[in-house]
Amino acid sequence: MKGEKHLIYKKILFKADPFSYDLEFDDRITLVGGDSGTGKTVLYEILEDLRLTDEYKAIKLFNYKSDDIVTSIKQCRHNFIVVDNADILLDDDIKKFINFEFSNQYMLFSRNCDGLNVSDNSFKVLKLNDNRITLEEEL
Amino acid sequence: MIDIYTEKKESKDWILQNDLYFNLNTSNEDLSDEDIKLIKQIDGAKITPDKHIETKYGIGTIRNLSSGCKTLLNIVKHPEKVVCVEECGPNVLQVIFTMDDIKIYMSRPSLFAIPNDVKIRFNDTDVVTGGTGYQRWWSREYERREALDL
Repeated sequence: MKGEKHLIYKKILFKADPFSYDLEFDDRITLVGGDSGTGKTVLYEILEDLRLTDEYKAIKLFNYKSDDIVTSIKQCRHNFIVVDNADILLDDDIKKFINFEFSNQYMLFSRNCDGLNVSDNSFKVLKLNDNRITLEEEL
Repeated sequence: MIDIYTEKKESKDWILQNDLYFNLNTSNEDLSDEDIKLIKQIDGAKITPDKHIETKYGIGTIRNLSSGCKTLLNIVKHPEKVVCVEECGPNVLQVIFTMDDIKIYMSRPSLFAIPNDVKIRFNDTDVVTGGTGYQRWWSREYERREALDL
């Protein structure tokens, strides 16, 4: 449909007892920010398992432990790319790739939108309510 | 006085990768009662004498603390180092700006509550006071960057 954004995953749903994750995405680039200690790295670690399933095999994960992140990210096509520690990992080169490689969707654990083509729908925080974890708009 | 540096520098006196530095160094040091209070305040984590932690997300070791909490402990335990605070949420920055005689690296401003009386020195030269001084300095810095097309 004209004007509709191409998303690899509109929703990512899974259980990780005692929590159920219900993550909904409104833009090709999602920045997850907010306070420290809200479970971003916990989510990243769960996604390490989830990406091994057929349904979520498009997920590619990067953090400060990843080797040669620039080359690895630039090889991704039609992937859902998650970057933890994005505030210290994303340089101008990677940001340019993120802006112009439209086949991928991105979830970046970062508070810094400098140099990224983001929209009002891009800014999210993780919220925990009754063991249900969702992505909510950052105020 | 809080020293803020706004240009990144590779040096053994700087901590740019807080998770890595914490996991290999700070986590092996003894924790004071004050450290334990900070861990509880930021991550809501209870810590045992053998450095296991319990949070709402489960049980782990001190290496499972958040990046922001690890950054805070790197600053507390190594005040002589310049520590990158770019991964810190507002809840951690608020605590950092109540501290004294520390050195931090931040390349852009963040929005959080800064006490009115805190003295901040930027790049070893400009001294400002409180949140107003902090905002004013960053406004000028962005004008400078824009003028130089940085």
